[in-house]
Amino acid sequence: MRRFLPALFVATAMVALPTAPAHATGAITCKPTPQSRWKSQDALKAQLTKQGWTVRKSKVDGGCYEVYGTTPEGDRVEAYFHPVTLEKLYVARRGEVLFRKKGY
Amino acid sequence: MRTISNNQYLLGLILAIPALGLGLGYWQGQIDSMDLIQQTGEWSARLMILAMLLSPLVAAIGRRKWLTFLLFHRRWIGVAAFGYAVLHLCFYLIDMGNLDDILAEWLAPGIWTGWAAMVLMLPLALTSNDLAMRWLKAGWKRVQRLVYPSAVLVLLHWVWVHNSITAAFLHFLPLVILTLIRVLKPWMSPLKP
Repeated sequence: MRRFLPALFVATAMVALPTAPAHATGAITCKPTPQSRWKSQDALKAQLTKQGWTVRKSKVDGGCYEVYGTTPEGDRVEAYFHPVTLEKLYVARRGEVLFRKKGY
Repeated sequence: MRTISNNQYLLGLILAIPALGLGLGYWQGQIDSMDLIQQTGEWSARLMILAMLLSPLVAAIGRRKWLTFLLFHRRWIGVAAFGYAVLHLCFYLIDMGNLDDILAEWLAPGIWTGWAAMVLMLPLALTSNDLAMRWLKAGWKRVQRLVYPSAVLVLLHWVWVHNSITAAFLHFLPLVILTLIRVLKPWMSPLKP
């Protein structure tokens, strides 16, 4: 027990760290596009609110817009949108992927 | 030594500084509950890592005065880690605001790991006092070893909820390395030329 648990801790940590998420930094990334073509975060918020979302917070992450909020279905999620098209790319709830657009 | 050990209240105060800062920020409306969930969670993990780091660090670099001091008051660090975990949970509950939303996501990978880590921390915190130490005798150490499975859950919770391994990795790496050194030490023969 004295050595077993620390050893198990190291082993699990070493397995968990590289394999836990399929993605290393941020959930997904968007191919770089010139900022001049980006729609504003306010436009995204307006679009989402119209669709029934509640937006808590939004920011740029991995070249995409990342939004924290509640879906029209009432799920608390973290979602990614394309900054140019404002298309929905990825929706996850605390590590559980609810939606992922093909190719992302 | 006495003067150092008398500084335990100073240590308690130091451990409370992040909480005071975060509380002030929340009070002034500079930080919202969503950010506080992350901040309090990270402080909890940092202190848990610090508490776990001390004895492998002693094993690796030998006794130092400051290490002896921290080791002597390790329970304070552990209890502080639990305290930040409680704050973390409180702000999570405040942020979610209703039971339905909490139950809807509680089986999500990033969430059940957090709950489970918290459950494992509870007996650690409850037994972090002289009375429990006397009462449990040798069993006390065994109870405190629950920190290892709890730490694994904290790591998974962090990685999954954050969708990123970078921050969690950087925090846990020193602990993993030092623990690895300690675990391997008996096999690293000192008799080698």
